[in-house]
Amino acid sequence: MAERVAQGSVAPGGSWHFFNRGKRREERAVALPLQIGAWLAFVVLLLPMIIVVLAGLNSGDHLTWPPEGLSLRWIVAFFEASEFLDAYVFSLWLAVVVMVISTTLGTMAAIFLTRMTFPGRNLLRAYFLSPLILPGIVLGLALYVFYVSSGIGLSRTLPGLIIGHVLVTAPYVIGTVSAALFNFDIALEEAARSLGAGPFTAFRNVTLPIIGPGVAAGAIFAFIVSFGQFDVSLFLSTPNYTPLPIALYISLRYTFEPTAAAAGIFAIALVVISMLLTSRLINIRRFAGIKFS
Amino acid sequence: MSLAAAQAERTLPLPDLRRIFADTKFYWLVLPAFTFFLIFFVIPTVSLFLISFDKSVAGVVDIQWDFTLKNYIRFFNRPLYYEAAIRSIGLAAIVSVCALALGYPLAYFIAKTRHPGRNTFYMILVLCAMQLDMVIRLFGLMVLMGDNGIINGILKDVGAVREPLPLMYNFFGAVVGLVQFTLPFMVLSLIGIIRSIHPSLEEAARSLGANRWTTFWRITFPLSMPGILAGTLLVFAISISSYVVPALMGGWKVIVMPLHIYQQIAEMGKWQFGATIAVVLFVTSMIAVYVYQRFAARTAGGRA
Repeated sequence: MAERVAQGSVAPGGSWHFFNRGKRREERAVALPLQIGAWLAFVVLLLPMIIVVLAGLNSGDHLTWPPEGLSLRWIVAFFEASEFLDAYVFSLWLAVVVMVISTTLGTMAAIFLTRMTFPGRNLLRAYFLSPLILPGIVLGLALYVFYVSSGIGLSRTLPGLIIGHVLVTAPYVIGTVSAALFNFDIALEEAARSLGAGPFTAFRNVTLPIIGPGVAAGAIFAFIVSFGQFDVSLFLSTPNYTPLPIALYISLRYTFEPTAAAAGIFAIALVVISMLLTSRLINIRRFAGIKFS
Repeated sequence: MSLAAAQAERTLPLPDLRRIFADTKFYWLVLPAFTFFLIFFVIPTVSLFLISFDKSVAGVVDIQWDFTLKNYIRFFNRPLYYEAAIRSIGLAAIVSVCALALGYPLAYFIAKTRHPGRNTFYMILVLCAMQLDMVIRLFGLMVLMGDNGIINGILKDVGAVREPLPLMYNFFGAVVGLVQFTLPFMVLSLIGIIRSIHPSLEEAARSLGANRWTTFWRITFPLSMPGILAGTLLVFAISISSYVVPALMGGWKVIVMPLHIYQQIAEMGKWQFGATIAVVLFVTSMIAVYVYQRFAARTAGGRA
């Protein structure tokens, strides 16, 4: 066995040619079949997005093969016809409102969850993450049934839609802020306290600046999950309050306008900017292994 | 530092902090979120569960407190509905396997990319694909896969086919759409666990004479089992509850449970029966979670 090890790693032939060849083979960290598979997966992931961008910049009526050339006519049409522009602006507004509410509720809950030691803490954590386990369409239906049957005046209203979105975005905020608080060294806050700062001053001046990036990342996640939310909106949106995903769905089902692709370009831009921001705020590589349910 | 001093330093702050929190009654921090979830999550979910057992009257939403199993008996006696349940499970299972086959190489590739900049770049690509509204991605898929779409256009151009291939508005289209939808979740579930496999294990196998193929199947793949189980489970749960992908890519020919829920409520006003299908859908995905966890506990040997 020792002989084989020596043969494999030291390349006893001794010539540079052999040495280099052996080294190059070792350098490829991922075997070729896996590498091909990885690029195939990248194509599956990204090709639909690229197609949307091309379809929005296409000069013909529909993107077909062979392509007809580039133009800005669908972008112009997107700004001129109010159909998708209104939906886009409404989604943007909705996502900001949802982000503010979710971040406030979620951050407060996360502070409590990470700082307090009490029995049933894990149970409370599971309680806050549970809306993610329920299928979105079931959650939307449950809320719709609740609004209609309880008669609290939320059915087919804007607050009713916002509530649905907060339920599916707050768990993300709680997750990210908890992670930031776990990494925070509590001795820093205690130092501030021992030097005479009140609990609020200590939190605002010491803790918040350090966990700030985690809170901001959670807020961005809440924003983008709300912006792309389809399932929960399906039962809760109304003709007056139609978020972009629902407007696009109606278009795809019945008419298939190319202006939808132009709207898609702006949505893609928003997502890319959000993710770039997130990567500046927190170590994005830590996202690996997050359990979403 | 002596052991006692180190111990004192570690244990001192905790009781002190607990006192601070106890003094100031920080319970109000969690109260808004707790109440919000109680009113708008727990109560609606419980009442949905209740009305699924209620007497079915078209157009009536309120709880009539007239509980019966009739809705469930109807569900499991009509082929239209129980076949939709079987179809949903089959579709989700096929999607899980496909997403694993496609997602594992990508996760492995990203996990083995050591260069921090490139690694972050790949992660951003995966997260962008995950966070982009699915309806927009479906637009792209439909332009690609339609009868006059780009794939069929290219195939006709090179003379490979005369008639367009039926790529969507069928079961195949629904599978492709769902794999595209769920792939990022699979990749993110796998990356962490693949990265945590110590390289020395693979190196040891190689130095003992195993080739790359054997090393991968005997060492790397079995060690990533917890991530594989978590990923397939997550993909299964997302696929089985997706409405928009089967609706658009299946062209209303792949009738799965979420489509039935929407039809019963929005088109027929049968609230109780719609609620019944929703409960069946949720319980199905919960059973899948349970079975998988039992299975995972045995396969992963406590690593999950």
